Amino acid sequence: MSDLDRDLEFELHRALDPLSAAPLPPRRLARAHRPARTVLGGAGAALGFKILSGVAVAAAAVTVAGAATTGSLNPTVWGHQVTQQVASCKAQLADGQHGIGDCMSTFANQHGQAVASSARQHGNGNGNGAANGKDKTNNGNGNGSGNGGDKSKSHSPKDPTTTTPPTVEIEPTDPSSHGPVHVTPGP
Amino acid sequence: MEAYEAGSEADFERLYRNTYHRILGTLVTMVRDRATAEDCAQETFERAYRSWKSWRPDAPVEAWLHRIAINVAISDRRHQRIRQAGEIIRRLGRPEPGPDPASVAEHSDMLLAMKKLPPKQAAALVLRHYHGYSNREIAAALGVPEQTVASRLGAARKHLQAVLGR
Repeated sequence: MSDLDRDLEFELHRALDPLSAAPLPPRRLARAHRPARTVLGGAGAALGFKILSGVAVAAAAVTVAGAATTGSLNPTVWGHQVTQQVASCKAQLADGQHGIGDCMSTFANQHGQAVASSARQHGNGNGNGAANGKDKTNNGNGNGSGNGGDKSKSHSPKDPTTTTPPTVEIEPTDPSSHGPVHVTPGP
Repeated sequence: MEAYEAGSEADFERLYRNTYHRILGTLVTMVRDRATAEDCAQETFERAYRSWKSWRPDAPVEAWLHRIAINVAISDRRHQRIRQAGEIIRRLGRPEPGPDPASVAEHSDMLLAMKKLPPKQAAALVLRHYHGYSNREIAAALGVPEQTVASRLGAARKHLQAVLGR
């Protein structure tokens, strides 16, 4: 045994033997795991907050998207309007004529503009670009991000000389505190 | 050697009474102060209690406890380093506080040097030179090859010689 080993043993016994003379403390009872702390505190709290924030943001996005698509916070309102418009367009068809795309497109385009205007009034307007009606005839001059939700396949003629200026009627708006919005047709 | 029955509440109490001070002795050489060592000892018995039902008497129960204790001490050292980093940031620009007189009294140069060793080396030293384990028993307790124990002991001795100038 080297000097260092002897020194080690001597020092360890000198330092640690007195520990044995100390009274035995009561055994600490096993603590339950603390899932609540994990969830509510520290990294768990941050993660939980992020998840809740994400859910809230997603819910808000769905609501806004729904409103933008339907013009109303209640999708059934827009659904009823579309149903009525389809019936109306079909009624306007002459015998032997097919397709209500143009008719529906005009309707949807107006609706998109109305939603964009409404969004601007609410301060939510993204203000970029025209309404996304696919109908090239009407070109959707409404500024703002209102996606007209116009999924109908419009087959309107592409010849600009045959286009008629869009007629903008009073917009169907959400019967809330905001009055109707008038949009001046573009050139 | 005393016999214990896994899962027996009474046997665990007896195990606690018989081994607490020896486990505490090991921990005192590995963590920064006596209070921390006591806390780690309690943590060791908490963890042991949770596994007590599944303990198998194919290895000495004290070796099993030491293995848990060493893991607890290693975890504590990791947390200690994080706490120390926080302390340094808080103390920036202020004079460093002097050593606690109570802790100075129970620390020898040797013990202080051991606390600066990597925890596994310190554990090997205390098991060998205080508890009197053979290298084989240490290897069984820590779950490492005997050769690893020998190299840890060698490295620890070398470090102490350099620090203490012996």
